[in-house]
Parts: sequence; structure tokens; C-alpha cells
Amino acid sequence: MRWLHGMFDSVRGLFEEKGKLARMKPVFEATENFFFGPATRTDGAPHVRDPLDVKRFMATVIVALAPCVLASLYFFGLRVLAMILVSYAVGGAVEVIFAVVRKEEINEGFLVTGLIFPLVLPPALPLWMVGVGIAFGVLVGKELFGGTGRNLFNPALVGRCFLAIGYPAAMAANWIKPGGGLLGRLTEYAHAGTVDAVSSATPLVFAKQGEFAGLSDLFFGNVSGSVGETSALALLAGGAFLLYTRVANWRTVVAILASFTVLGALLRAAAPDTFGPVGWHLLAGSLLFGAFFMATDPVSGPVTNPAKWAFGILVGGVTLLIRNLTGYVEGVMFAILLGNIAAPILDEVVVRYRVRRMQHEG
Amino acid sequence: MRFHGGCNIRLAGRPSDLVDVLPEPEVLRLPLQSCRFDFKEICVKEGEEVHPGQALAKDLDHFAVPLLAPRAGTVRLEEAEGHITLVDIHKEPEEPYRPEEPLEHAPRDMDSVGKKRYKLLALGAWQFFRDAYSGRLPNPFGVPSAVIVSTLALEPFLARGDVQIRKRLASFTRGLEHLQSLLEYQPIYLVLPDIGSGFAQRVRDTIRGYAWAQLVGIPLRYGLDHSAAIARGLGLKRNGEGPVWALDAAGALAVDRALTLSLPSTVRIVSLGGPAAEKPRHLKAMPGYPLSDMVETRKAESSTRIIAGGVFTGSEVPESQLGLDAECAGLTLLREHEERELLSFMRPGFDRASYSRCFLSAVRGAFIENLTTALRGERRACVSCGYCEEVCPARIMPYLIHKHLYQEGYEEAERIGVDRCLRCGLCSYVCPSKIELRGQFIDAQELLEQERPAEEVAS
Repeated sequence: MRWLHGMFDSVRGLFEEKGKLARMKPVFEATENFFFGPATRTDGAPHVRDPLDVKRFMATVIVALAPCVLASLYFFGLRVLAMILVSYAVGGAVEVIFAVVRKEEINEGFLVTGLIFPLVLPPALPLWMVGVGIAFGVLVGKELFGGTGRNLFNPALVGRCFLAIGYPAAMAANWIKPGGGLLGRLTEYAHAGTVDAVSSATPLVFAKQGEFAGLSDLFFGNVSGSVGETSALALLAGGAFLLYTRVANWRTVVAILASFTVLGALLRAAAPDTFGPVGWHLLAGSLLFGAFFMATDPVSGPVTNPAKWAFGILVGGVTLLIRNLTGYVEGVMFAILLGNIAAPILDEVVVRYRVRRMQHEG
Repeated sequence: MRFHGGCNIRLAGRPSDLVDVLPEPEVLRLPLQSCRFDFKEICVKEGEEVHPGQALAKDLDHFAVPLLAPRAGTVRLEEAEGHITLVDIHKEPEEPYRPEEPLEHAPRDMDSVGKKRYKLLALGAWQFFRDAYSGRLPNPFGVPSAVIVSTLALEPFLARGDVQIRKRLASFTRGLEHLQSLLEYQPIYLVLPDIGSGFAQRVRDTIRGYAWAQLVGIPLRYGLDHSAAIARGLGLKRNGEGPVWALDAAGALAVDRALTLSLPSTVRIVSLGGPAAEKPRHLKAMPGYPLSDMVETRKAESSTRIIAGGVFTGSEVPESQLGLDAECAGLTLLREHEERELLSFMRPGFDRASYSRCFLSAVRGAFIENLTTALRGERRACVSCGYCEEVCPARIMPYLIHKHLYQEGYEEAERIGVDRCLRCGLCSYVCPSKIELRGQFIDAQELLEQERPAEEVAS
């Protein structure tokens, strides 16, 4: 790998303070540090550090998303790849522009946002909408707040919310029937014009009309829906990995699923006509995706453990209520955004309690 | 006692139980500074012949703690800057303590307890005492509310209590008795590991008869052995009836030596460990012992960082420091980071020991990774992963304090307990964003200390 080292060394001068491309230094640094672990040494105690860095932290999320990406390729075809590429390209461009203007490092956060975003969109959504959505999400959801670590809302959800409000028709249609058989749609590029592929609605839409998709179809993902949300199996596998690595906090996930289940069971018992079966609702829609991959975003969610429980209960409960009592068929997005709004205040309550206890202890 | 946080890292080069005696030095270079003290007041003249135990210099800001000559020799003041050099070193029998009259820097008309305490100060035993919360030197003539004697030093690597007192258990317990004689009714807490090691059992058996000594067992997790964490766990208030004194095994031995034998404590047991140490072990050494003789010959590799203290809290020994300082309890040697690994963040990481479980190593048992001074990542904004709160033995929220300090919200940071930080360094160690939390908190503590009204400090 000496030649690669040499290549970086030979162009390094261009990006130094007086070099021709000094403005692009963040790009050079990011590329170099992508290939080679940084040379930085500790300066003072502690003199040794844990091997975990933000790159690895984010890479772990991407690994956890892998089952779900593979499942979506199988069910919805190669167009998913195109959506991911567009999302990465546009989201990455926004991130790079801001890094260059701010003269800060390029942050790895967009690697996760850029992958999560296409996974929560309808699979036949026009590619330009994917680009517009991610640009809005990264720009307004993250960069305007000061970049990764300072955002109030989950950027991917901000982007999706923007599309849902700006292009409601496109976001409510553009579903694709899942592929089947050995290869599924792995060899196809199914889009809105593909005759046999277009589907009119998702299981949650049908459920409003009293038609429930089979549980095994929901579990394996053999239903129409947003790109990455259909296969409960893939989501559980990735989610379990995420919880095992402790990148996502189990409290949030458990609280969401528990509050959803408990509230759902109670309301189902009280009004069986209005509320669908809980087990079915757990697997349908984007509840699992939201619980494992979006609500657990450490930046936009609460940090203290008691607040995580409260946040999860709020998100789970609100999702259930939106799904069953409002005109919307799915409520995960709004529930998590609402949770993001509540997160700082939940944390503040916990912090105040702790401060009081601390003062009491002396 | 309830415990929170704490974390052990496995660092290669754990000093063995062996205690090596270093050869007699030809020259001693005693640094005039150590981590707490600044011996500004020089008490000897150029060319003066000193006897062992004679005060070479004093720190007038800290109750005139003396820097004692470990051996007889001739003073050279100009030979090395910031050091007192002793040449023509020879071993002379140490002369028993004779108090000079009148006693300098001490309250008038002292009772016998006061005189004993003065003796501790003059014989170099007092510098082993610290305020459990602030870590500073307590007033030798003050009245503590409790005393904590800890046999644990869990930071990798410091001289371990069990190694120090294994062969001197009788002296250790006698030291505790002396300590008790300095107090009225205040309790002495003796901190032991909460495991059934043979050593702990022996100490328990020996101490059983003493009603005034209470045994405290704590888990063997670094961070929990900090005196402030123990004091807080015992419910001893920071601003209670008096300061809480803390001392380690070496301190109890020094008390015994001073009050039983009336001899100064100059030679101490120092650990020499770390991944770059060729033969990690304990050494009997004295302040001023040339570092080059202690370390260079044992250094495994050329580019090595020498740390006075452990890897979490120690400080790099500056080039200009030539001899062992008066407070050093251990030297840790680390290889400087040099190699850059290709696609390092993508590697499975079977060989990387991490607090998180983001590496394949999570599936294997504990092992020792060869650590260097690498930062192992790039500095980023906090992603609120919460690891720092999990490991914090002080039960504070480092990420939150960091966020306030980032906006210069010092008052907010104080409100949520930045002054409770133990400076253990665990938060900085686990932080994936590589934020220098420990350094920021120390700066904030010092700033808040300066701003505190003078009368509060006096009380």
C-alpha cells in the first residue's frame, strides 16, 4: 500500500494552507483518513484511547442496515441501488459544501443518513425527488443546526417529512409489488412504468379497509411498502446486531415496542372495530424500522436513560394513535419527530432531578 | 456502598510482584517540582555536605513540605536547571529525627499530637496525605472528619498496595495505629478489594481487633478506587465537619517509619510498567534517581513516551526532567503511535479491545491489546452515545458538561457537577468522538476555583 501512501503524500502540498486547493482540504483529509487510520497521537492524559471512533460507530449502523438493503434489493429490484446512489451523491455533496465553507472536517454522519433515507421512501419514487428530499433533510435537518451532533431532528425524517408534505401524491403511490421466487426482482429495474410491478397501496392502506395482509408475508417482507421497511425478519436481524453492539440503546427500542403493544392491546380490547390486531400492527409498516434505526439515533433522541424510556413510550403510543385514529395510514415518522421535539425537555427533567439529588448528597 | 461506572483496560506490561532494588546511584538529581509541590525555598548552599533526611528545599505554599535528601552527598545547585543535584553520594546511617527548636511554620504551643504531626511533616510522611476530594495536601494541624487508607491502586500502572505491604504487614498495621493516635474519635476506613484474595484475608485477620478501623470492600474496577468516589460512597460530605484525609499503603508505611523509628521516608516503591517496558516490575527507588538509569536501559523501543503515573492520569515526563520526582508512584512506558493502517475502520477488529461492542473482539474473552499513544480516530462533535456517563465513577454526565463548556456555560457546568469530576480520564478514553473531556473539566474546575470567593476558600 506504499503507492497509495505516496499518492497522498505527493498531492498533500496542494491542500496545505497556501496550496492551490487549500479550500478543499476537508475533502482531502476525509479521503486520506478513509484509507488510512489517522496519525494523530494523544496529547496528555489519558494516553491511550479506545479503538472506537465515529467512523466505526457509523459503519456499524451501515452493517446493521445490510440485511434490510439486501432484502429490499430482492423484493424491489435494482432501482433501490439507484436510489441509494442518488441519496449518497446529493447528501454527500451538501455535506462537503458545508464542510468546505465552514472549514471543518467532513462528518461521517451522512453515510448513515444517506443510506437510511432511500429506505424509507416508496420504491418507485422519481429519483429527482430522492435527491431533493435528501438535500432538504441534510441541509435543513442537520447543517443549519450546526452539523452532525447538533441537530434536533433526525435528518432523514426531516427529508421524508418534506417529501410527504410537498409531494403527497407521489409519496402515497409509487409502490411496487414485491418480487418472489429464487431471484425476486434482483435482476430487474422495476419502476413506475413497469406494468406488472406497480401496486396501488401498502398493507396499512388495505388494513384501513379491513383487509389484512398475511402475517408470514409481513414477517418475511413479501408485501409492498417503503424500500427497507417491509421485511420484519431483516429488520430484526439488523436491529439485534445494533443492540448487541450497543450503538443503539435497547431501552428506546423496548419502550417503543412495549408501549405500542400494551396500548394497542388495551385499545383493541376496548374497540375491536377501530383497532387492528396488535401482533399484525407490530410487523406492519415502518414501526420496526423506526424503532430500531430512527428513534435510536443518539443525537436527536434523549440521552439519559429515564428519558429514553419516556421517549420510547411517547413514540410507540403516538404511532399507534396516528395509525388507527387519524387519516394517515402510518404514524412512525410524525411520532419520532414529535419525540425529537420532546427529547430535550425529557432530558432536562431527568437532569434537574439528578442535580437536586446531587445537591442533597453534598 | 453503591458503585457506579469504573472500567478496566487491559494494558500490557503489568508490573510483576517482584521488587527490585536499584543499584546505588552515583549522582541524584532531585526535581524541584512534582505534581502537587513546587519546592521553591532552597534550604542548602552550593557545596554543602548534607546528611540523609536533611531538608534540601521546602514548598512554603504547602505547609512547608520538605524535599528530603535521600542519601548523604554534596549539593550542586547550578548543575541542572530546576533540580538540586547531589554528587559524591554515599550511604550513611540515617540519623534519628531531632526536632529543631523552635519549630518552624507550625502553630505555637502544640500538644503531643501536634508534635507528632509536625514530625510527619518533617520526615516526609505528610506528603502522602491528600484531601480525598480535592487531592490537595491537607493542613497537617487540621481536624479531619474521617481518614481513608486505601490499599488499592487500580490505574495501569502505579505501585500496587499489595506489593508494598506484603512483606511489611506489621509496619502497615502499626502505621494505622499511629494514625489513630493522631485523631480523637474520627473513623479510619481501610479500603480493600472486595474479593477473597489471600492478601485481603490476611489484612482482614490482622486488623480484626481494631474497633476504630472499618473495612471497606470495593470492586476491582479502575475509577472506583479514587478517594473521592470512596468518600462519597461512604456518605462523607465534601463540605462536612472537616476534610476527609486519604492516603495509600505507602503513606501508612511512611507514618510508621516516622513515628516508630523516627526516620525519614525517602526510598519508595515505584512501579515500572507499560507495553514498552521490557521487564515490568516494581523498583525500590528514591527521589532524584536518574531517570536515564531507570528507564533507558529498560526501554524496549526507541520512540517511547515516558509517563509519570498511569496511562489515565499521568503526565508525560518532560525532556528536561532528569531524576525521579518526589511524588512519583509509577512510570509507564508507551510506544508512540507511528503506523497508519489501511482501511482501519473497516477491519473486523478481532484484535481490538474496545469498551463498545463494535469490533469482532466482542465475541472473544478479555485479552490484552498492544496499545500505543494513538488517538485512534478523528475529533468530531459529540454524538451523545452515552458511554462517558456509563463509565463515570463520579456519576456525572460528561457529555452534558462538555456541551455547556463548549458554549462557555461555566455556571451551568458547575450546576451539573463539573467540580465532582475525579479526573480519572475514563470518559476521554471511551469517547468515540475523541473529545478531551478530562482536560476540559480540569480547566473548568481550575477556572471555577479561581472565581470562588476568597472567604469560601478559607472556610
